[in-house]
Amino acid sequence: MNMQTERNIFKPLKANLIKVIEESPLIKTFVLVPEEEFEFKTGQFIEVTVDGIGESPFTPSSSPLETKQLEVTVMKTGYVTDYMHSMRPGEVMAIRGPFGRGYAVDKFYDKEILILGGGCGFAPIRSLLYNLKAISDKLRKVTFCYGSKTPEDCIYKPYISELRQTPKFEVYRSVDKADETWTESVGVVTVLLDEVKMDIRNSVAVVCGPPVMMKFGTYKLLEMGYPEEDIYLSMEKNMSCGLGKCGHCMMGKYFVCKDGPVFTYNEIKDQPNIWN
Amino acid sequence: MNYYSIIKSAWDDALEYFLQDFNIYGTLENESGIDYEIIDPSNVKLISYNKPKPAVPLKIFFLPVKENVSRIHKYDKKTIIIGSPNCDVVGLNILDEIYLDRDYVDPFYKERRENTIIIATDCHSINEHCHCYSYGVNPYGGENSDISVSVIDGEVFLMVYTKKGEDLINRMPPSQTFKILDESSISLIKKKHTEVISLIRTKYKALPDYIQTGNLIRNSGEDIWKKYAVTCVSCGSCATICPTCTCFLLLDKPGFEKVKQLDACQYPGFERVAGGEDPLRKKFVRFRNRYLCKYVWKPEKFKSIACTGCGRCIETCIGKISKNELFMELANIN
Repeated sequence: MNMQTERNIFKPLKANLIKVIEESPLIKTFVLVPEEEFEFKTGQFIEVTVDGIGESPFTPSSSPLETKQLEVTVMKTGYVTDYMHSMRPGEVMAIRGPFGRGYAVDKFYDKEILILGGGCGFAPIRSLLYNLKAISDKLRKVTFCYGSKTPEDCIYKPYISELRQTPKFEVYRSVDKADETWTESVGVVTVLLDEVKMDIRNSVAVVCGPPVMMKFGTYKLLEMGYPEEDIYLSMEKNMSCGLGKCGHCMMGKYFVCKDGPVFTYNEIKDQPNIWN
Repeated sequence: MNYYSIIKSAWDDALEYFLQDFNIYGTLENESGIDYEIIDPSNVKLISYNKPKPAVPLKIFFLPVKENVSRIHKYDKKTIIIGSPNCDVVGLNILDEIYLDRDYVDPFYKERRENTIIIATDCHSINEHCHCYSYGVNPYGGENSDISVSVIDGEVFLMVYTKKGEDLINRMPPSQTFKILDESSISLIKKKHTEVISLIRTKYKALPDYIQTGNLIRNSGEDIWKKYAVTCVSCGSCATICPTCTCFLLLDKPGFEKVKQLDACQYPGFERVAGGEDPLRKKFVRFRNRYLCKYVWKPEKFKSIACTGCGRCIETCIGKISKNELFMELANIN
């Protein structure tokens, strides 16, 4: 064995931060250009290193068809993300990955796709939407229901407008608390499911958002008649190594980082602590 | 597999000769028990054989407590580890499954595994909490090691299982000659094996086996875990000293360097995410988590067992928690 040529699974790839987009008061998108071309499948995640500070898992919010640059959309939540939010174009980050199992997009062919997203959970979904748009001739329709706390917290506003102009794509939005400018639904995101019309027998559902929204979103989809194996959940745990080794993201028998992060509900329903 | 024997003094000379090309770590006895120490010509004769069990598990040679994993380093000398009990050697199987997983081979682990020769030793006695055989692990060396040794009446009996082991035997200085073992010597060794198995069987008659334990844990309520976790202080000693606990933390150092440090699910915050959710917030849930991991989840995912019955977690616990008492109580409830 020649150890000099052995791949070091722990070593990150440097990536230049070329742009920071403010999406909402708490959410920013970071546009990164890795030192080498970087491929991922939609739904897979990467570990982003802030030098000397720490590493956090994010699912890229950009198109998987783009290999020269990628975007991560980050909510200011903890130690690493606080620091990230202070970073400016020209600074350097590093990435590891891509890790895990993304969305089984080929299983979506000839189907209606219902996507339920909440808050920063729109980030992985945007990557999925880019992917679905590229294969839209193979799909029946894509219905996206998105919920956020307030109109100010709605992210990717220009992209929403673009999506509304895209054939086969429809967008429903709700906010928990509206203001005078808001003309769409009010209430938790699941209220939108009462508005949508889906051919459930020929449909799959995708859910991504905060744990409580994932939980009630899933229950509502089950109530609507979606089979457990057609509900795709993007799980969030403390993914650290990304390699199925460090143990921090164990959810019962699964390493979420390697076996997921995308699971169907029937795969995980018997595992402990799926919603917290 | 080949059997050999050599007189003890010649074996000691051979090990001293190997010191030219190998780093050797061997089990030495001191006032508080047995532990691995660096072997040099002054202590090679003092290596302790056939006694259970070193203070620390074999994993410490392959998963250091802390290491910088930014650069792959080469070792100029190979290593021989001598005196490991079989519980520890079998414990490496699940480490191999995790760290040599084809999708993501840990180059640091792999390098150490490939450059280390493990000479196990048969246990001729048991310690207070040794219960390997109740989980199907033999109290004597086997094919998970490269060589296993038994020292009986001044004679060293060697069972050589691997090419690595055979290559080492072939490097012996020509003056040291091995005898091929005869049937009577083999039966002498096997008699020792049977004696120790019988000791464990008698002592742990009431202890459920590995699979039964998994079923008991799977179907257990919360009460028993709350009861036993009362004295747990979340120190993580049980995981640190466990031959099969392997969880780690990746730390960041300036210059995009990564440092890998052993971690334990018993520490608060082990699974906490930035948003605040923490499935293991409660102490009894953390305490139960380690056993669910070992007896329920790992068996669903891996081929190798995740508890080899070494009993160190019981010995080390400052809360005086005995998992074996817990499992026997669970068995009685059911």
